[in-house]
Amino acid sequence: MQVSGGTDATVGIPPDVTEETEAFWTAASEGRLVVDQCDDCSAFSFPPRGMCRTCRSRSMRSVEVTGRGRIYSYTVNYQRWLPDLEVPYAIAIVEFPGCPGVRVVGRLRGCAPEEAAIDAEVEVGFEPGPGGYAIPSFVMLGPAP
Amino acid sequence: MGHDRLERRAVISGVGQSVIGRQIDRSGLQLTLDAITAAVHDAGLTIDDIDGLAMFPGGGKANLPGYANGNLYEVQDALGITTTWRQGQVEGMSLPFYGPAQAVATGEARHAVVWRTVKEGSAARKAGGRPAYGSIHPRAEGPLAWLLPVGALSPVCQVAPYATRYLHDFGVKREQLAWIPITQRAHAALNPDAVYRQPLTLDEYMGSRMISYPICLYDCDVPADGSTAIVVSTSEAAGDLRSPVRIEAMAGVIDGRPAWELLEDFTRVGYATAQAMWSRTDLRPTDVDVAQLYDGFMIEAVWWLEAMGFCQAGEAGQFVEGGARIALDGQLPLNTWGGQLSGGRLHAGFGHTAEAVRQLRGEAGDRQVEGAEVAAVANVGGFEAGAAILTGW
Ligand SMILES: [Zn+2]
Repeated sequence: MQVSGGTDATVGIPPDVTEETEAFWTAASEGRLVVDQCDDCSAFSFPPRGMCRTCRSRSMRSVEVTGRGRIYSYTVNYQRWLPDLEVPYAIAIVEFPGCPGVRVVGRLRGCAPEEAAIDAEVEVGFEPGPGGYAIPSFVMLGPAP
Repeated sequence: MGHDRLERRAVISGVGQSVIGRQIDRSGLQLTLDAITAAVHDAGLTIDDIDGLAMFPGGGKANLPGYANGNLYEVQDALGITTTWRQGQVEGMSLPFYGPAQAVATGEARHAVVWRTVKEGSAARKAGGRPAYGSIHPRAEGPLAWLLPVGALSPVCQVAPYATRYLHDFGVKREQLAWIPITQRAHAALNPDAVYRQPLTLDEYMGSRMISYPICLYDCDVPADGSTAIVVSTSEAAGDLRSPVRIEAMAGVIDGRPAWELLEDFTRVGYATAQAMWSRTDLRPTDVDVAQLYDGFMIEAVWWLEAMGFCQAGEAGQFVEGGARIALDGQLPLNTWGGQLSGGRLHAGFGHTAEAVRQLRGEAGDRQVEGAEVAAVANVGGFEAGAAILTGW
């Protein structure tokens, strides 16, 4: 899906995928955002570390985040850090009211980069990133309240 | 209060630096040996007195070209010394002298030297610009795996959201905080070793290109080549030293989530470290004569101005506006060597510590702050934080 305001995000550095992060990147390739939820206390943990940040249980499972997110903060990058990197683009740090303690960093689409705003609502999404990986790419739903 | 504090059993005895510049055509090892030799001489010691060695970063770990220089084994071999204590410092080492102070306070070493050598100026020139963080590795590992693939390719992009949130929550203006780089540039004009010494105006600042909003060019430190070495000695040896400086208090507390994007509150950074540091001394913020606060990016100095209580939360804009309070003759002269913004990215608090020592000794040349007896030093903030008060002997 190409949404206005997006730039090609495939130029960059791909992630090193580990035992802990494989579920995230696999789900990302299917367009789904997953975080860890504790089997014992139901708390959310992200990034996945194989241990519940709340009760230290080692029994965690991946659950999908489907609700809207809210921009905690953002930046607009103008610098061409790598040859062929398309700029500018907005990077948003997003929180999810339904998943306390979870923050995910991603690109922002659906608006001009300069229209990014704190507290604005976004929809979960992904787009093609470096090395064939799908990366988080949130879609702006409207101006900040 | 507590003269049993560990840091009271240690002193900073010497500081030394190599030639510093945007491009120095000598190896990292040679720059390191220049700095160590100068620091040991500055302490009033000889190389044979040194029995502790430490460097940052430990293991030569690098995410940027030119980041890690002066291999610990090669340096020890060149110096031809026996060590009883060594340390490869890691991110989160608080301040450069923190580990060495622990070593000399506990008798593991008597005189320890710690160094940080950068060749990032040459590396940036060679790459045709400041390179992407982690670009020397084919894949983004560990915490960087969540940042680099989405395009947060530099520490600038990783720190910028802190500035965005700060400006948003407190209604502070960029043209207010601009006075930090502008004033530090005026200080750098009086420092012959600074990288940038020409005056910087408010118009130039506001007209400069944006790197990663709201961080513009002049909010970023300048990649440099150079080495800084610091000698830390047991206070028992104070009588043998040329001009020791006391470590009145030091602390490094990490109480939030230790990753750039995860820290719970982007507008309150370094508070736990500052609070722990102040709990170790009877001195108060109003006693501080000169402040050397980390400024890899300008916003980091803002964090420490507020966390250490030099002004209230959200008031740094008013505090620095116009530059009078942070000038050499102001109530809190800030980064009197130019800081990393103009003096050069000597990194990890090494340049800041060297300047604090020089100011407290009255050896800061044209930029000397009159009657400087108490200095504040701080490093980074967030997932790696250190703060200290140093005082004259
Ligand atoms: Zn749990």
